[in-house]
Amino acid sequence: MTSLLDIQNLRKQFGGLTAVNDVSFSIAEGETVALLGPNGSGKTTVLNMISGALAPTSGVIALSGEHIAGLAPNRIAHKGVARTFQLVRILPSLSVAENVIAALAFRPNHLWGRAAEERAEELLAEVGLGGRGGEHANDLTYIDQKRMELARALAAEPRLLLLDEWLSGLNPTELRTGIDLITALGQRGMTVLLVEHIMEAVRALCSRTVVMNVGTKIADGPTADVLADPAVISAYLGEGHA
Amino acid sequence: MTRTILGLMLAILGLAALAWMPTQLGAYGVGLLLGMTGYVALASAWALFSGPTRYVSLATVAFFGIGAYTVAVLSETLPYWAVLLVAAVIGLAVALIVGLATLRLAGVYFVIFTFGLAELIRQLVTWYEVNVTGTLGRYIFLPITAEQIYWQLLAVAAGTIAIGWLISRSRLGLALKVIGDDETVAGHTGINIAGVKLALFAVSATIITLVGAIQAPRWTYVEPAIVFNPTISFLTLIMALLGGANRLWGPALGAIPLFLLFEWLSANFPNHYSIILGLLFIAIVFVVPRGVLAGIEDGWARLKRRGEAA
Ligand SMILES: Nc1ncnc2c1ncn2[C@@H]1O[C@H](COP(=O)(O)OP(=O)(O)OP(=O)(O)O)[C@@H](O)[C@H]1O
Ligand SMILES: [Mg+2]
Repeated sequence: MTSLLDIQNLRKQFGGLTAVNDVSFSIAEGETVALLGPNGSGKTTVLNMISGALAPTSGVIALSGEHIAGLAPNRIAHKGVARTFQLVRILPSLSVAENVIAALAFRPNHLWGRAAEERAEELLAEVGLGGRGGEHANDLTYIDQKRMELARALAAEPRLLLLDEWLSGLNPTELRTGIDLITALGQRGMTVLLVEHIMEAVRALCSRTVVMNVGTKIADGPTADVLADPAVISAYLGEGHA
Repeated sequence: MTRTILGLMLAILGLAALAWMPTQLGAYGVGLLLGMTGYVALASAWALFSGPTRYVSLATVAFFGIGAYTVAVLSETLPYWAVLLVAAVIGLAVALIVGLATLRLAGVYFVIFTFGLAELIRQLVTWYEVNVTGTLGRYIFLPITAEQIYWQLLAVAAGTIAIGWLISRSRLGLALKVIGDDETVAGHTGINIAGVKLALFAVSATIITLVGAIQAPRWTYVEPAIVFNPTISFLTLIMALLGGANRLWGPALGAIPLFLLFEWLSANFPNHYSIILGLLFIAIVFVVPRGVLAGIEDGWARLKRRGEAA
């Protein structure tokens, strides 16, 4: 197994606050990995540095061996990284289809015109929004906006997909569908790094789990082992101060 | 498709009618028409960049003045068409340099910088003229009639609106909408934000430079205070805002009534002109922040919704 993503000694400093402190881990091609940790432990910051939303203070991020740390988000996107955001980010003045075309039209082998419209419709159908491309993105419910955001991320045909609590806020039925959707992506060979608080989803989706606490990596291994690790349990229960 | 062709034919007919108008007007009428068309071109060009990006540029007169001054300096050494070409190239070059340096600035910093840029260029030209060439003003003697200036401006205005239309249907147009909605998302979908902004700024500034160059022969006598007058930047801005900087016809629709109003004001209230201009500016920003066209559309949508609900 070759690794698609390699992170070494990654650090992010916000003024005096070290949000991410010397974190290293790798993800193999085709793997679905969970990134867990209590609130404020630095998970989103790690995703932000991978996608280029934030430049790391120091450290290495390599995609198939190519260094991408500190590049602009559009360059990183063109190298095959796509993401969703913890607080869903839609393009409110555009239609649902245009939200997806926004990614189709600017990927390296871009689509435009009829081809883009057709592909957008396919992607929307894939996430359960078939036939709704003409609606205003702003009129969608929160959950549907999340679906649309996933369609937009998939439109880029990424090699690495970053999902930041994409499953949170779903009701049990929606959660089931969401898990199936991500499982299908994994079966198609997509590499996924997902930040999640819903343990049921993590157990179902991820063979491997990385755990952070206060900016530092405290566990990395098979999901079942990691979730049974006393250090992880105490971090989650807030007893890690002893 | 048929609608596009129909619109195109209407546009050509309208253009032909506008081109024919000077033959029916006296010198004063042609002068009004010329000034109005100049501002339609300026406001439309300004909105090409500032509408979708929401970067409020006060550099209009910097480029306008560069165009006018290029004509003043070169009109006796080069053929007219070559002077226009040189002016456009200078405008483009300055826009690229300024754009690369400033498009990182956000919000009010950009506004202040562009205002400062126009002043800086004016001071530089003044300094150069006084200390190097030893003059302050220059005369432009070109055998160009007001009608000919008007026709050129009409062509530039029509071309600018056509460019706006083409952009709105292109990938560049979508990129602009995405950037306007959410820059973070734009970057993450692979859009080169700085490149898009720079391209728009350059196109807009080049057109503005051309307008300045074409209008220059109108003055006969040119000096920095005339062609770098900041009022030109402010007028352009409020015209585009009044009509709606995000609508294809918005800037043109704002430019026509405001131009006539300002003509009337400057003839009748020359001393209170700037105060009225300032008050009007504030009124427009508060009453129709997205422009009259968008305001009408919103009102229409609200009416329709009420109709559906009833
Ligand atoms: N742009 C920023 N500027 C300053 N501080 C930030 C910024 N982004 C994150 N932080 C801080 O960095 C720390 C880590 O935040 P981060 O959002 O990465 O946590 P998280 O693990 O995603 O938490 P959550 O589970 O609540 O989403 C927090 O203390 C946060 O306040
Ligand atoms: Mg987070």
